[in-house]
Amino acid sequence: MVYDSIANALIPSPASNPKDLAKKKRVNRTAKLKQSKLDVRREQWLSQVKNKGSKEENRGADRPKTPARDMHGSNEGESRPMVKLVINPGGGEENDGMMNHYSDWESPSNSPTSHTSSLASNRSVTNFTGGSSSGSSSSSSGSGSCGCYSGSMTEEDDGDDGCLDDWEAIADALAADEIKSETDHNINPESQVNDHVPQLEPVETVKDEGMNCHVQVNRRAWRPDDAFRPQGLPNLLKQNSFPMNSERNHGSGAWGFKTAGFSPIPMTCPICCEDLDLTDSSFLPCPCGYRLCLFCYKRILEDNGRCPGCRKQYEQCEQGIVTSKMARSYSMIPSR
Amino acid sequence: MQASRARLFKEYKEVQREKVADPDIQLVCDDSNIFKWTALIKGPSETPYEGGVFQLAFSVPEQYPLQPPQVRFLTKIFHPNVHFKTGEICLDILKNAWSPAWTLQSVCRAIIALMAHPEPDSPLNCDSGNLLRSGDVRGFQSMAKMYTRLAAMPKKG
Repeated sequence: MVYDSIANALIPSPASNPKDLAKKKRVNRTAKLKQSKLDVRREQWLSQVKNKGSKEENRGADRPKTPARDMHGSNEGESRPMVKLVINPGGGEENDGMMNHYSDWESPSNSPTSHTSSLASNRSVTNFTGGSSSGSSSSSSGSGSCGCYSGSMTEEDDGDDGCLDDWEAIADALAADEIKSETDHNINPESQVNDHVPQLEPVETVKDEGMNCHVQVNRRAWRPDDAFRPQGLPNLLKQNSFPMNSERNHGSGAWGFKTAGFSPIPMTCPICCEDLDLTDSSFLPCPCGYRLCLFCYKRILEDNGRCPGCRKQYEQCEQGIVTSKMARSYSMIPSR
Repeated sequence: MQASRARLFKEYKEVQREKVADPDIQLVCDDSNIFKWTALIKGPSETPYEGGVFQLAFSVPEQYPLQPPQVRFLTKIFHPNVHFKTGEICLDILKNAWSPAWTLQSVCRAIIALMAHPEPDSPLNCDSGNLLRSGDVRGFQSMAKMYTRLAAMPKKG
C-alpha cells in the first residue's frame, strides 16, 4: 500500500497547474506519504501485539495453532517488504508445524466444501484477522496490515511474556480475546484438529471472503469511536482518505465492498480527481452537498460560478471572501 | 490541461470497470490521444432507432470538465435534434447546461435519452422536426426507421 500511495501521489503531481497551488499540493502529498508510512508501521506493530494477545488466549484453550498469514503473497508484490518484518520464528517445538502453516488469506481452499486443510486455513484466517483489523481501519487492512504475521505469536510460544509489559499490549490482548473466543467457536469448532496441515504455497483468491469479512470487522480491539480507545493511538481512519484504497475495495469483491461504503465524503475531487485533503473535505461550498476541491472551486468561480451538482450560482449561498472573489470573476462573464 | 488528463484517465478506468454494467454503451478511447473518444450506442427500444448501432465521436477540450466535450454522430441518423449532414447534436447539456459533474458515459446516456425523446421545437434537422411538429408521427417514424436500417444496421444479404 505504501507503494501504491507513492505511485498515486507522484503521478498526478506534475498535473497540478499554477505554480503556487501545485507546490502546496506537492508538499501536502509528501506529508501524506510520510504519514501513511508511519501508519503502516504502527499497524504492523499494533497487530503484532494483538496477535500475542490472541495467542495467549489460544494457549489457555490448549489449542495449538499459529497460522501465518501472507495476505497478498500471491497477487501483490507489495506485501513483500512487510513480510520481512515477520521473521524470527523465535523457536520452539510447536513452531515447526505452525511455521509451515502459511495460509493464504484469499486461498480458494477456504471454500467451505474443500477438505480439512480448508478448515485449517479458515481457522488461521480467523486468528489473524484479530490482529490485522485491530491495527488498521477496515478498508486499509487488506494492504496495510499484511505484515502482521506470526513472528510475534511464535515468540510467544516460548513463554516470552516480556512484551506484555506494554500496557497497550495487555489491553489489546484482553479486548481481542473476548471477541476472538466467540468467533473462534462459531466459525470453526473442529479446526484445532487440523491445524498442522502444511500449506506452503500461497494460492489465489476468491471464495469465502464475505465470511471472513465480518470476522475481521468485529475483531477490532478499539473502534474508532470507542471511549476507551487511547488518545495516543494513530487515527487509522485517515487511511481511508487514500484513493487507492477505494480502488482496491472495488476490486476485491465482497470483502472490499463491505468495508468501503461508509464514508459519505468522496476521497478525490470529482472534477479533477485529485485527492481531497483535510481542508478540501471539510469544504462545503453549496447547500446541495456537492463537494469538490478548492482548486476546482476557484476554477469554476472564474468560469461560470455554478455548482456542478445543482447548477445554482455559488455566490447565492456564500458570503465574505468568496463574494468579493465573485464580484471580480463576474466581470469576465458576459451573460451575467 | 493536466487536470483534464487526470480526469479522463479516471473516466477511462471507470469505463473499463463498468464495461459490463451498461450494455447499451461502448465507450473507447483513441489509442494515441486521450482527448479523442468514440462511442457506440444502441438505439433505444420502442423507438425507430431500435436495432441500430450509432457511432459517436467525442472531442474533449483541454478545459474539460469545465467545458463540455464536443460530440457528434458519425452514423447518419434522422432525428430532429441531430444535424443530418454533420451529425452535430443539439442538446442543452452539451452547451449551456453542462456541468463538470457529467462524464462521457453520462453524456452517452443523455444522448440515448434524447433519441428516445426528441425535441422538435429546437430542430437541427428541420424536415424531421417539421414532421413531428405537424403531428405526422408515423411519417417521422418510418423515415427514422429507414435511415436506421440504411445507416445503423449491419448489411445483410
